[in-house]
Amino acid sequence: MKRTVYRFAFTTGAIITGIILILVFTFLGKKSTGPLEDVFTQVGSAVTDLENSILLSNREPVRSKALNWFDKYRNNKKLMNHPDTVLLGIYDNHYKKSFDHILSLEKSFQFNLPFIQLYTAWGDKPEQRFPVKYAKAIYNLGSTPFITWEPWLNDFDREEHNLPHKEDPNKNGLKDVTNGDYDYYINQWAQDVKDFGKLVFIRLGHEMNDPYRYPWGPQNNKPQDFINFWRYVVTKFKEQGVTNAVWVWSPHPAYLLYSEYYPGNEYVDWVGVGALNYGTVALWSKWWSFSEIFGDYYDWLASFKKPIIITEFGSLAVGGERDKWYSNALSNLPEKYPDLKAVIFYNNDNDNTTLSKSLVWSLNNDTLSIQAVKKAIKTW
Amino acid sequence: MLKKKDKDFWKYREARGVTNFDRFIYLVLFVAGVLSIIRFADWWFRAEHIESLPLFILLSLITWYGITRIFLIWLNYLRVKKPEFVPAEKGLKVAIFTTSSPGEPLSMFDKTLEACANITYPHTTYLLDDTQDPAFKKIAEKHGAVWLNLVGLPGAKAGKVNAALKMIDEDFVLIMDPDHIPFPNFLDKVLGYFKDEKVGFVQVAQTYYNQYRSFTAKGAAEQTYTFYGPTLMGLFGYGSSVAIGANCTFRKKALESIGGHGIGLAEDLITSIRLHAKGWKSVFTPIVVSRGLVPEDFGSFCKQQLKWSRGVFEVLFTEIPQNFKGLNFWQRVSYLSISTYYLVGLTSFLYFTIPFLYFWLGVLPANMNFGEFIIKGAPIVIIAIAIYLFVQRWLSHPDAERGFHWRGMILKTATWPVFLLGSLLSLVNADIPYIPTAKKAVKGLSPYTRPLILHVVLFVLTLAWVIYQRLTTVSEGVLVLTSDQIWGMFAFAGVSVILVAGGIFAAYESKNLPEDEPWQKVDLKKIKTG
Repeated sequence: MKRTVYRFAFTTGAIITGIILILVFTFLGKKSTGPLEDVFTQVGSAVTDLENSILLSNREPVRSKALNWFDKYRNNKKLMNHPDTVLLGIYDNHYKKSFDHILSLEKSFQFNLPFIQLYTAWGDKPEQRFPVKYAKAIYNLGSTPFITWEPWLNDFDREEHNLPHKEDPNKNGLKDVTNGDYDYYINQWAQDVKDFGKLVFIRLGHEMNDPYRYPWGPQNNKPQDFINFWRYVVTKFKEQGVTNAVWVWSPHPAYLLYSEYYPGNEYVDWVGVGALNYGTVALWSKWWSFSEIFGDYYDWLASFKKPIIITEFGSLAVGGERDKWYSNALSNLPEKYPDLKAVIFYNNDNDNTTLSKSLVWSLNNDTLSIQAVKKAIKTW
Repeated sequence: MLKKKDKDFWKYREARGVTNFDRFIYLVLFVAGVLSIIRFADWWFRAEHIESLPLFILLSLITWYGITRIFLIWLNYLRVKKPEFVPAEKGLKVAIFTTSSPGEPLSMFDKTLEACANITYPHTTYLLDDTQDPAFKKIAEKHGAVWLNLVGLPGAKAGKVNAALKMIDEDFVLIMDPDHIPFPNFLDKVLGYFKDEKVGFVQVAQTYYNQYRSFTAKGAAEQTYTFYGPTLMGLFGYGSSVAIGANCTFRKKALESIGGHGIGLAEDLITSIRLHAKGWKSVFTPIVVSRGLVPEDFGSFCKQQLKWSRGVFEVLFTEIPQNFKGLNFWQRVSYLSISTYYLVGLTSFLYFTIPFLYFWLGVLPANMNFGEFIIKGAPIVIIAIAIYLFVQRWLSHPDAERGFHWRGMILKTATWPVFLLGSLLSLVNADIPYIPTAKKAVKGLSPYTRPLILHVVLFVLTLAWVIYQRLTTVSEGVLVLTSDQIWGMFAFAGVSVILVAGGIFAAYESKNLPEDEPWQKVDLKKIKTG
């Protein structure tokens, strides 16, 4: 009798296990952002912390020590949002593997660049989550992470998340966000930001007024949709108790209609703007000076009464004198633009995003420009 | 409440039969497993995972070799089958062959020959002897066995077997390894299958009684448990169950049709493939009707494995091409699968080098998210474990043999240098001297442990070097980004190092293994056949 019971229990167990296993990978397992992945992210994060506390505490930090002065800013949201100085920063395309390009440029500059910028798109992939590994690394180097968060909506598995089929998910996509379609993703991100715990600059849906570039622009959405979207995301973060996010609203000033995209003072901490001189690499471009691409719009940008940040700052070498460009741009900058409180160098040596050819923005190999930057910054 | 475990070795046993219910459950697991493999493949083969193309191809080959083997064994279990017992006809003429070689302990033959004499079905036992020691003749006569003096013949035992075949007039021959102690009902349980005129040989399970002696003995035995249960039952279901070493009963006519027993390092596999190619059928019956010795010390175990790996590759290179035409589809699959089994030495070696390539040269074989790798791979592993445990219901002695067989796994990992050597020797067609599997423990740390020690030492030195570098020379810009990767790789490498260290432990333990003659403790009167 016992034997029968045992057999019965065993075989039933086997059937149930089989069914559960099938379910696991046909349904649950297909999710790329399941609870297991959280565990792995946390394990990776814990390993980094563990190594820091056990092993690397025996090693004298160089950069974070040199950036000691920045600690009072990055650990104080109030001061960070109204800094008494112009803070510098950098984006470097090699960041996934190493920050050495940044470190070597800093060595040439003989000063540090406290902001480090990354770009990340919305979506289901692991690399589309909040980049906690990089945020941590940036913090450990003495910097503050600045993340450009791009709401591409075509990278979600719609079936997976029970979203209605849509030919182009970006069409009226911001409305879908406000309808709650992507809440699981936003909430996850908010939670990860909260867990990270240090200040993070988030530049959400940048250049929303450019009708040609990004799918969250006017070709797919009305200005009011963008405002609602922005407020929705910021409110979601607040509801989750996130207090360490700094929101950067960043229009494209060349398309003049940007005021109608402004979400409102209580939803925005900084106003951001790109300032890239493409020189003569393309038919549509010419050698623009810094005052042409930034200075002419400064008063408009300043009218929002928010600190201003240049989120991409740089010039190509084709079509003019690059070192002079930097020199003109940076000399006496705080006096000329008192509300401009941060500048982030765009140090990309392989930019394929705009043209079919690769553009070199990075300064690492341009001694003349480096000297010009150094000299100009001494005037501050 | 579970019933009390019955671990008595000296008792006739058979694996349980296969019910439709079993088949259904297994099918569920199989389908689940195949889906998980498909899902893993769908994730694996993506251009974005390529960091360096040659390394990615290499890693893919290693990984998918492993997964293919898992799939093949799952496929094999689909047809697990136990032959229906057929009572032996009366009056068959049966011979039992056992062979003796110089250096083998006389007292062992005393026991084996006595046990052969106790086999109830009428038969004649032959001792095929080349010791040139009169004591062996005496012991044969003591137990009523016919002593055949067969000196200077080629092969392990096949030369002697072939010479003896010409001298006898029996129709069936049971070839016993001298370290195996047969039970009295051995022949009663196998001869019935020869009623089918097409059956060329009947293999029974090989089981052991000296596991208690050492870690190596336990591990080596563990490696055989599923093979002599569900694995061979599956092969039988596909019509390709093979003869393996001892305990195989042949129809003499079948052996004659292929010009006698095959000769080589994997004689039995050679014989099986030739018989199958000639159209003979084979039977595997999962019953315990004898128990023998498994290598007790690490050195002997490695020698045995080297012999097998070298021999089995030989089957791949010479026997399969020659016999390919005669085999049916599933036999081809089975023999190709068996004969490439020991490639695991090469793949393990490559697998172990991956973390070192990363530590020394900074190269990553693939641009994969480690967490994603685990998540996508885990279902395969979970189902593989579930299937492994499920098919254990068909072990011939489940109470004693069930388990995760971690010792077997350690030994398998730790014998990678042996398998690698075996495959390299086959590639250049070089010989290894014939080494009989030691029946008694041999003292001293086996030379096969040297690569293992090197493996562990390299790991420790690399670990120290990496820690030193991270404390001093690694630039801060890299340091902050590589924590999880570096320590993940160390964890990855560490698992194999722990397994390999287990092998070193087995070798160390072998060094101090006291002399023993396990057969002395076996009481033939206590063998239960009821």
